[in-house]
Amino acid sequence: MNEVAVAPAARETEAADRILRIDDLRTYFHTRDGIVRAVDGVSFSVGRGETLCVVGESGCGKSVTAMSILRLLPQPPARIETGSIVFEDRDLLTLTEAEMRRVRGNEISMIFQEPMTSLNPVLTIGQQIAEAIILHQGLSRAEAERHAADMLHRVQISDAPQRLGEYPHQLSGGMRQRVMIAMALSCNPKVLIADEPTTALDVTIQAQILNLMRDLKTDFGTAIILITHDLGVVAEMAERVVVMYAGRKVEEAAVRELFARPLHPYTHGLMGSVPRLNEAAETGERHRLREIEGSVPSLNQLIIGCAFAPRCAFASDRCRVEAPALAEERPGHWTACWEWRAVEERGHA
Amino acid sequence: MYGYIIRRVLATIPVMVVVGIFVFLLLHLTPGDPAAVIAGDYASPADIARIRAKLGLDLPIYIQFGKWVWALSQGDLGISIFSNLPVAQLIGQRLEPTLMLSLATIIIAIAIAVPLGVIAAWRAGTVVDRFTMLFAVLGFSVPIFVIGYALMYVFAIKLGWFPVQGYVPLAKGFWPFLQSITLPSVALAMLYTALIARITRASVLEVLTEDYIRTARAKGLTSTAVLMRHALKNAAVPIITIIGIGIALLIGGVVVTESVFNIPGLGRLTVDSILRRDYPIIQGIILVFAGVYVIVNLLVDISYTFFDPRIRY
Amino acid sequence: MTATTGDLDIGASRGRLDKTLEFARRNPTVVIGVTILTIMALIAIFAPYIARDPLLLDPVVRLEPPSAANWFGTDHLGRDVYARTVFGTRISLTVGLSVALLSTSIGLVIGLIAGYVRIVDALVMRIMDGLMAIPGILFAIALMALFGSSVQNVIIAITVPEVPRVVRLVRAVVLTIREMPYVEAAVSVGTRLPKILIRHILPNTFAPLMVQATYVCASAVIVEALLSFLGAGTPPEVPSWGNMMAEGRVYFQIKPWLLFFPGLMLAIMVLTVNVLGDGLRDTLDPRIARRMK
Repeated sequence: MNEVAVAPAARETEAADRILRIDDLRTYFHTRDGIVRAVDGVSFSVGRGETLCVVGESGCGKSVTAMSILRLLPQPPARIETGSIVFEDRDLLTLTEAEMRRVRGNEISMIFQEPMTSLNPVLTIGQQIAEAIILHQGLSRAEAERHAADMLHRVQISDAPQRLGEYPHQLSGGMRQRVMIAMALSCNPKVLIADEPTTALDVTIQAQILNLMRDLKTDFGTAIILITHDLGVVAEMAERVVVMYAGRKVEEAAVRELFARPLHPYTHGLMGSVPRLNEAAETGERHRLREIEGSVPSLNQLIIGCAFAPRCAFASDRCRVEAPALAEERPGHWTACWEWRAVEERGHA
Repeated sequence: MYGYIIRRVLATIPVMVVVGIFVFLLLHLTPGDPAAVIAGDYASPADIARIRAKLGLDLPIYIQFGKWVWALSQGDLGISIFSNLPVAQLIGQRLEPTLMLSLATIIIAIAIAVPLGVIAAWRAGTVVDRFTMLFAVLGFSVPIFVIGYALMYVFAIKLGWFPVQGYVPLAKGFWPFLQSITLPSVALAMLYTALIARITRASVLEVLTEDYIRTARAKGLTSTAVLMRHALKNAAVPIITIIGIGIALLIGGVVVTESVFNIPGLGRLTVDSILRRDYPIIQGIILVFAGVYVIVNLLVDISYTFFDPRIRY
Repeated sequence: MTATTGDLDIGASRGRLDKTLEFARRNPTVVIGVTILTIMALIAIFAPYIARDPLLLDPVVRLEPPSAANWFGTDHLGRDVYARTVFGTRISLTVGLSVALLSTSIGLVIGLIAGYVRIVDALVMRIMDGLMAIPGILFAIALMALFGSSVQNVIIAITVPEVPRVVRLVRAVVLTIREMPYVEAAVSVGTRLPKILIRHILPNTFAPLMVQATYVCASAVIVEALLSFLGAGTPPEVPSWGNMMAEGRVYFQIKPWLLFFPGLMLAIMVLTVNVLGDGLRDTLDPRIARRMK
């Protein structure tokens, strides 16, 4: 069986400011139709106060990775087979459920994609925000509500005290997402995991929410793991980027470096498929959007060679039989590709 | 919110009108002459004429309907053909046993079914769940009187723990009352319990797949807190609904149970009246039962506002 | 490599066989349910061949417990309980199936109309709500009191209270499908109403209706037994399970077999039909389960 051999250089150096380190995480789903390898040997780390974006198409495993960090996946079908998730100095995968609950919402928080359905319709906003505060910080109901009102103010919701008594259906989508953010940050977590937080929102609201997240990050010093399929969001928010494909990490770099010089055909393809508004003005001609042909492989089949090879314009024979190892081919820039030099050259053309 | 309540109350009026029309027409839908039907097979033409005059059946139908509605508003449900007593009085006499039986049944059913359904949903797919669902299917498949006789055979005849038949009024002592009411209410409760447990399980199961449950878990809440505070309130609406709808089944079951266990309640009155073709009583009882059903469901509708703030406008 | 038509045929039928076996493996209860029901249907059909005349009186051997001569014993008129139980299958199955068929057909028609024609809708739904407020058994009893005792009347009396629920179901489907984009598209292209009903709406009603029909069938079997038990059902000489229990109840304490066998058969039949309904519901569409509430 071809495993992705992780070269020693790919492991993060033991820097003290790495607040979350995921090492060789494998999360498999045991279904009636076989084993789905949703996350198949993913490693990355997040620094204190850093914004890391995880990019990939739907089905590449980014959400499952996020859910695995907080161990929110239902254990019968899902199972974290191996790996470690070290938060500060503890491996989250070794904690008991009770200890894990103290981490959730408290030290590591998560917000989700669908603000419309992620809030309980029969409880007030105030109750839902105060709940986490009361649970983790032991404040009284009154103190917690005051704190909740303060949080609502911080996420720029006006009339905070009045809003506390309102129900989710009385709020717009953008406001609900703000409430989710307020809820997530209420206990001052060290890491915020945001799973496609703006995908379900209008474009103008998207911008507002992203700006809000950036401001709050500065205020609170929270590290953010932002999961998205939208490169625009990556460009806006990321300091570093991890690109995932078919359950594996295929590239990692600082954001500018990634955009300037993608070293993996998949990233290269993603960049090429983003429409550029100024292109006609700059180069005097317009190009067709380049799409990546083919589709994502199904994750319950064993993959031989590089998972991206069937769709790859740069694929060589070696790619089809031997899965590429993740390696630091340029300083601070990791990629899992045999033909990365060809990709680099094409990027310069 | 008060607008909602008022609207719900007003909505019951057309329903009762339909019931009223049906009940009234009951007599007039018989093939043949209503008076002859009431008089029976052995009546002479003179008897039939007398009955016709007595019940005002020779008047035009809308006048009859008007008189009937007017009498209803005064609380007059008519006179029993067989016993010549006011129907309202007869119903009043038989009310207590039926009421007690129904209350006991509802209490038993809800107390068992809701926790059972919640546990089954929480541990979906496990042995507990399968066993609960099996019990539920049995509960509403085996007819009430079969269950009743089975219980009677085992616990009353063979073991002698409970009286075989009959009803002891509360006034004659709490313990004897309880003994006489146990077997019938357990038999009756089976059906109701099964129904409620199934719906509870389905509702809670569905709620547990919702996104806000995921959010609640991500906040670090314990499973119990998630279940009690987030899931149950959302699952309540279908559960309460089925409790309301189940009243109709309950009423039907009461009729049978009283017959099996020989309890002198409204159910027995109904059966006796049917056999004797005592239409005024039949009409009165249907009105009363339908009225109870409508009121209970009205209360259910109003209770929605407590559980779901979206249903207030 | 080309395959001959012979190869293709075998391949296709093996695929279907595999699928059926797979289905059977995953839903053992449905398989058991169907098997038992088939057995019951066979019992009903071949009743005269597997039992003697259920109406045959023989007062000499009245109230005998089960024995070699009378497998289930005899009743108070000396009739063979086993024979009556076997023939009772016919009554129950007939009533159950007839009520299911009738109520779904009538309910379908009314529901389609109500769902599509708004003026009719308001009126019809009010009437349906009113009818549903009357407890089913009382409704049926009242109707039986009106029309007199016969198997046909029992079927009608049980069907009428079941119709409103079917109407509700069909109407709900119609209302949902009517708003669907593909129906709007069909209307905008000028498709006429009957075709829309038949092409788009009707197929969507089949699954929920089938599930509802099984539940109605089970319910009808019980109600017929209840009615007969109360004396307001099938005529006394007809060997229905409810009648048997009504007649046998007087002797219950000393001769329980008179109630036991018909009761058992009732329980089995209703149980299997309900299990079948559940299985159907689970296979056909999990979304139906929501509407069944």
